[in-house]
Amino acid sequence: MSTSRERMLAAVRANKPDETVLPTVPDFWGDDSLERFSTVLASIGGEVMRLASLADLEAKVHELWPAAKLIASPLFPPTLAIDASTPTDVLADVDLAVLPVEIGVAENGAVWLPEANMLHRALPTVTQHLALVLDHRRLVATMHQAYAQLPEGPGGYGMFVAGPSKTADIEQSLVIGAHGARSLVVLVY
Amino acid sequence: MSYLTHSSRAEAFVLDHDRTSWHDETLWFVRQKRDKAVYAVPEFQELRNLASGIKDHTLSRLDYYLEKFEAAAQANGVRVHWAADAEEHNKIVLDIIRQRGATRVVKSKSMLTEECHLNPFLIEQGIEVIDTDLGERIIQMRDEPPSHIVLPAIHLKKEDVGETFFQHLGTAKGLTDPQQLTEAARQHLRAKFLAGEVALTGVNFAIAETGSVVVCTNEGNADLGASLAPVHVASMGIEKLIPRLSDLGVFTRLLARSATGQPVTTYTSHYTKPMPGREMHIIIVDNGRTKQLGRPDFRASLKCIRCGACMNTCPVYRRSGGHSYDFTVPGPIGSILSPNIDLKKHSTLPFASTLCGSCTDVCPVKIDIHTQLYKWRQIVSEANHLPTAKKIGLRFMGSLLASPTAFKFSGLLGRKALRLLPYGLTHNKTVNAWAIARELPEPPKQSFREWFAKNQPESNA
Repeated sequence: MSTSRERMLAAVRANKPDETVLPTVPDFWGDDSLERFSTVLASIGGEVMRLASLADLEAKVHELWPAAKLIASPLFPPTLAIDASTPTDVLADVDLAVLPVEIGVAENGAVWLPEANMLHRALPTVTQHLALVLDHRRLVATMHQAYAQLPEGPGGYGMFVAGPSKTADIEQSLVIGAHGARSLVVLVY
Repeated sequence: MSYLTHSSRAEAFVLDHDRTSWHDETLWFVRQKRDKAVYAVPEFQELRNLASGIKDHTLSRLDYYLEKFEAAAQANGVRVHWAADAEEHNKIVLDIIRQRGATRVVKSKSMLTEECHLNPFLIEQGIEVIDTDLGERIIQMRDEPPSHIVLPAIHLKKEDVGETFFQHLGTAKGLTDPQQLTEAARQHLRAKFLAGEVALTGVNFAIAETGSVVVCTNEGNADLGASLAPVHVASMGIEKLIPRLSDLGVFTRLLARSATGQPVTTYTSHYTKPMPGREMHIIIVDNGRTKQLGRPDFRASLKCIRCGACMNTCPVYRRSGGHSYDFTVPGPIGSILSPNIDLKKHSTLPFASTLCGSCTDVCPVKIDIHTQLYKWRQIVSEANHLPTAKKIGLRFMGSLLASPTAFKFSGLLGRKALRLLPYGLTHNKTVNAWAIARELPEPPKQSFREWFAKNQPESNA
C-alpha cells in the first residue's frame, strides 16, 4: 500500500500545470535613512532612541527603565542571567530584555533578531519590555535588502520584530501589549 | 440532503441593521487602511506580479519543491509528516501529543486546523486545546467559528466580548474597555503559555531551499507558544511553499499591507531547527488541494496567502457576515475554494457576489477571483444544483434574451404592467423578491429602441 506521501506527490505530478519561469526579483532600492526608520517605527507603536556609543548602553538602560528589576542582556552585566536552558518560571519574571539586532528595515520599522542574539528563544516575547540595540550602519531600505543580508539562511530560529506586541481583535481597537512585549524601543548607535 | 443557502443564512445577520452597518463600515475602514499602505509603495503592482509569478512557478513544480522542502527540513532535525486528508492530519497531531504523554496544547491561528476541525477532535480525546490568538480565544469561549480569516471575532462588539469574559474569565460585569479586556486575556493566556506542553501553529510560508516555516502574527502568540513548549507542530497545506528565502522579500511586503494596512506584521518568525532536546514537526496536508491543482480554471486559487483583502472589500461579505458562508474561509476566496470541497453543500456561494471584481483588484497574488466565481456558477448549474426558482428564471431569461421580438414585447408588457397593476401585486414580497427591501423603478414611457427610432440622425448614405 502506498503512503500518503507517495499518493500526494503522484497527484501533484498528475495535476500540476506546465512549468512556468521563476521570476527574478529586482533590487528595489528606497529610503534607508534613520529618519524613515524612526517615523515608521513610531507609527506602529515603537520608538527609536539614539545612543552616542555602545559604551553608554548600560547607563541609558537604567535611565530609561528605572523600575525594571530583572533585566536580561548579553551586552552588559545583567541582573538576571538567561541562557538556552533557563526554565520557564524564571523566564516568566523578566521585566526587560536588552538584545542586539542585526538589520533594521526602514520601510517597515522591522529589525532582524536571530536566535544567537536572543539568549533564549522565548525571551523576546516573554519579557514584559524589549529594547533592541542596532548599529545605524545596518539600516536597509526594504525587506529585499534585508533578506539579501542573510546568505547563510535564517538560522535555527529568527524573527523580524516590528514594534511591540499588539492586537485589534476587540472591535478593531488597537491595544499595545497583547501577549508579547508591552513596549519596544530600538536603541540606535 | 438539503442545505441552507448563503442568502438564508445571511438573513439573521442583516436583521440587526445597526450591527450590519457597523460591520460594513469597519471592514471598509480596513480596506481604506490597506489602500493607504499600498499607495505608499511605488512598486506595489510590480510586487503583485512577482508574487503571482513566484506562486505560479511553485505550483508548476510543486512535487519538486515539496521533496526539496522535506529533505531540507529533515536535515534540520525536523520530523516531516504527510496527511492526505483532515482525518489523517488530526490523527498525526494526536499521536505526537500522546507520545509525549501531554494533555495541554496551546495553539496559534491556523485556518488549516479549522478546516480539519482539529479542536473538537482533540478535545473529544481529552486534550485541552487553547486558542491563543485573542480573537480566536474569544470565539473559542463562545463556541463559534471564526467569521474572518484575519479578524476572527470581527462580528462581535466589545459588549459581547465583555460578557464572554465576565462568564469565562471572571472580569467585572459590564466591562467593555478593549485595553482592560485585552489585559485580562493576556494574564489568562500567559498562564496557558507557561504550562503548554505542545504548541500548534499554522504556516504562512514554507521555504523549500532552507526547510524553514514562517509564521506571521501581531500578538506574538505563535512565538510564545512554540518557544516555551517542548514540542512544536506546524501544519501547512501543500500550497504554502515558496522556492527561496529571498522570495519572502516579496511576500512580507504584500501580506500585512494587504491584510490590515500595516507595513509588516509585528512578528515574522522563521522556524528552521528545534532547540536541542526539543521536537519540531511539520505536517504537510492535501485535503483536496491536489484535486484543485488539477482544475485549470481554478488552480490559481491555491496561490492565496490568506490576507483577507478580498473579504474586506467585498460588498456582499461586508453586509452578510462571515458566518453566512458556512465555510472555514468565507468571502470571495472561500466561495471559489469551497465548491472544490463539496459542490452541492456550497453551491450558493459562487452566487454570493455581485461580480464587481473588487476582490480581484486587491488580491496581492492576482487571483482572478471574480472570473472563477463566474465559472463555478456554470459548473453548479451543469451539476443541476441550482434552486428550482433560479433554474426556471434563468431558462426563461435565456430564451427571452435570445429573441429580439420576445425581448421587445416583454419590455412593452413590463412597462404597461408596472403602470396598470396595483402596487400590492407588483411589490408582493412572495412573488417578487426584489421588492422585499427595494422599490421598483418608475417605468419609462418608451423603450430605448422607440426613442432611438424617433431621434436617430439622418443617415448620410
